[in-house]
Amino acid sequence: MSATGPPGDARPATAAGDVRVRGAGAAGDARPGGGVRVRVLGAVRRVVCLVALPALLVLLWWAVSGSSFYLPGPAAVGRAFAETWFSARLLDDVLPSVGRLLAGYALAALLGVGLGVPIGSSPRLRATLEPVLEFFRAVPPPVLVPLIMLLAGIDTPMKVLVIVSGCVWPILLNTVEGVRALDEVLADTCRMYGISGMSRLRWFVLRGASPQIMTGLRQALSIGIILMVISEMFASSSGLGFTIVLFQRQFQIAEMWSGILLLGLLGLGLSLLFRRLERWVLAWYHGSGAARA
Amino acid sequence: MTRADGSWSRLGHGAAGLGGLLLLMEAVPRLGLVDERFLPPASRILATLAGELATPGLWIALGQTMRGWAAGLALAFGAAVVTGVVIGVVPGLRALTSSTVEFLRPIPSVALVPLATLLFGPSLGSTLMLVVYAAFWQVLIQVLYGVAAVDPVASDTARSYGLSAWSRIRRLVWPTALPYVMTGLRLAAAVAFILAVTAELVIGSPGLGAQIQVAQSSGAVPTVYALIVLAGLVGIAVNAAVRLLERRVLAWHPAVRSEVPA
Amino acid sequence: MLEIHDLRKVYDGRGRHVEAIASVTLSVAAGELVCVVGPSGCGKTTLLRAVAGLLPVSGGEVAVDGRRVTGPPPGTAVVFQEYGRSLFPWMTVRQNVELPLKEKGLPAGRRRALVAGSLDAVGLADAADAHPWQLSGGMQQRVAIARAVAYEPKVLLMDEPFAAVDAQTRADLEDLILRLWRDLGMTVLFVTHDIDEAVYLGQRVVVLSASPTTVMEDLKIDLPAARDQLTTRSLPRFGELRGHVYRQIQRARAHHDDARGTP
Repeated sequence: MSATGPPGDARPATAAGDVRVRGAGAAGDARPGGGVRVRVLGAVRRVVCLVALPALLVLLWWAVSGSSFYLPGPAAVGRAFAETWFSARLLDDVLPSVGRLLAGYALAALLGVGLGVPIGSSPRLRATLEPVLEFFRAVPPPVLVPLIMLLAGIDTPMKVLVIVSGCVWPILLNTVEGVRALDEVLADTCRMYGISGMSRLRWFVLRGASPQIMTGLRQALSIGIILMVISEMFASSSGLGFTIVLFQRQFQIAEMWSGILLLGLLGLGLSLLFRRLERWVLAWYHGSGAARA
Repeated sequence: MTRADGSWSRLGHGAAGLGGLLLLMEAVPRLGLVDERFLPPASRILATLAGELATPGLWIALGQTMRGWAAGLALAFGAAVVTGVVIGVVPGLRALTSSTVEFLRPIPSVALVPLATLLFGPSLGSTLMLVVYAAFWQVLIQVLYGVAAVDPVASDTARSYGLSAWSRIRRLVWPTALPYVMTGLRLAAAVAFILAVTAELVIGSPGLGAQIQVAQSSGAVPTVYALIVLAGLVGIAVNAAVRLLERRVLAWHPAVRSEVPA
Repeated sequence: MLEIHDLRKVYDGRGRHVEAIASVTLSVAAGELVCVVGPSGCGKTTLLRAVAGLLPVSGGEVAVDGRRVTGPPPGTAVVFQEYGRSLFPWMTVRQNVELPLKEKGLPAGRRRALVAGSLDAVGLADAADAHPWQLSGGMQQRVAIARAVAYEPKVLLMDEPFAAVDAQTRADLEDLILRLWRDLGMTVLFVTHDIDEAVYLGQRVVVLSASPTTVMEDLKIDLPAARDQLTTRSLPRFGELRGHVYRQIQRARAHHDDARGTP
């Protein structure tokens, strides 16, 4: 992926929002008819839409489970989930993992935006560094794990460094792209009214580039989760990734599945949080219709 | 400034940037700022890479990686396009599936590593499982978005002229969705490459990632660097190839034509 | 107040050499409203950007309030043609108007008064908390005008500010500018391609030639000071002046085409 502006890479987010909104809209079609009954029917329909397929899938899971040693039933996985994760593991493995993820992610954001702004502002700097940056971005981040282990050992700094090294590129490149594409008329406006230095950065540059910065942050989040898990699968003795692999090696199948479930929930939770953040940061952008243009 | 001048000067700057990086990577270990055991000079990394490229083993590994990437991407792409079009075209299906899609999509595909290890062990199957899962959602989301972009008026018109469902898909839905599909393919190709290498690195499926893992555990630091450089070059090639394909396929499309800088 | 002396602007790229402005000399007295018209592509905007200090000049000199212009001169505000792009879409109307005042370091009370006063003057007191994209084009341009006015500039530069709004809105905005100019006593340089607008608004109309630009005529508009869309525009003198400027611009265009045709 290269740094693309909102028309290209902003789509996944809008697409996801769109899918949801449309789902709700289709269910609420009866509304113009008015009346409480119609509204209640609409709500019921919406709930049915929401849970029908998941319920069906769980049923299917239940029906085929037991046929294979590798696929315990929903009840067994649920029990394992409660026993495994609502225990000391939550404090010893899960929270430290998430903490490292957030620390690495925040560092990468700081670094990516901090470097992206000056690079994006200077055409010469941009032309000089772009091939180098594109190269670093094209390196699949997980291959850096063995290298960073070599340099930083196998403890927390290594894991955080791995996350930073993978997350920083999409943030950096998208920031560069966003700053490059800042509106010239707004830039002239800033010059005319003496808006410069920090307030130019705060009120113009960062806000103007925020759609692209958010795109970069979204891409970086999924890379960050991958790296959190992988960094713990190598030579580690704690953490979410380590624990799940441990279960697999000890053939604790239900526990392993509960770990996969937990990772899924973690991914879902973070992506919902991110979407919240994005809605809030980019309210003006979606409102102005620039996102759809 | 004419366009040719501009791109030449850009090229010059870019080359200077790359040259600068190489120089830096050469100077830092030579001056003893970082121990050579951890960061070999650029010249040695490149020499090691050249040496590796002369061995058939590396090419076999590279071929294995690319096979996993291509097969996984193709499987995911085919499945996602069919699923997406069906969900998009059959009324009501979108509402029924959206919660499931929204739940499954953010699950990081590396969560499947233990499962893949159990089911397939260190083999192509593991690679495919991770690659397909990761790439599938990238394409599916774009297809859904593309199908949703079909103009309702055009859709009604097609229906009123009695076009069959199949020809509606072929003549209306597919052309509209194509740019989105290509965006999905582009994003999926990058993700698929990351996951292919990851599977090799973590599970040990044969390929470039496994080679890096072997080099690392045997302490062959220059080889680790050389292979990482190679992985980056392959990543660039993958991106470039998919972009070229996108451009070719969409050459007729107004969205792409207007994108070409004037 | 505003002195432009032998201004020259050449765009120099590798292998290309475009003379946009050959020589423009022009002065605007304090409190005067001068309109600049010319055929399309005659470098009106280039001239305005040079005066605003947004564009380095190739020769000659611009001075505002006796000081030579090298960057945006203090006490100068600009209203751009692209109203949709000159307001910060992530800020409310109030924040848009207030930001330059914050940069000036004005205390909060003074800022509040200026923002309220200027929004009131352009008839947007109710829209203070809206975002620009929630407003129509004409209203957005009013916000840009309010921002300029709140800044309390000595010189107000306007670059075809009403080129992209509909006719009725345009007439309203023209009267708004006349009123603000009279009330606040600013010096206004107003660039437009619309001859009617130039004659209606200006105390003087400067007619530019086609590019490379020179001043073709500096015309005093001897219409009564109190102007009104209906009566002023139906005065016989208005028609004469309009016709005169129109012919000048036609001449400029023909001259330009001849010059192009000869080689």
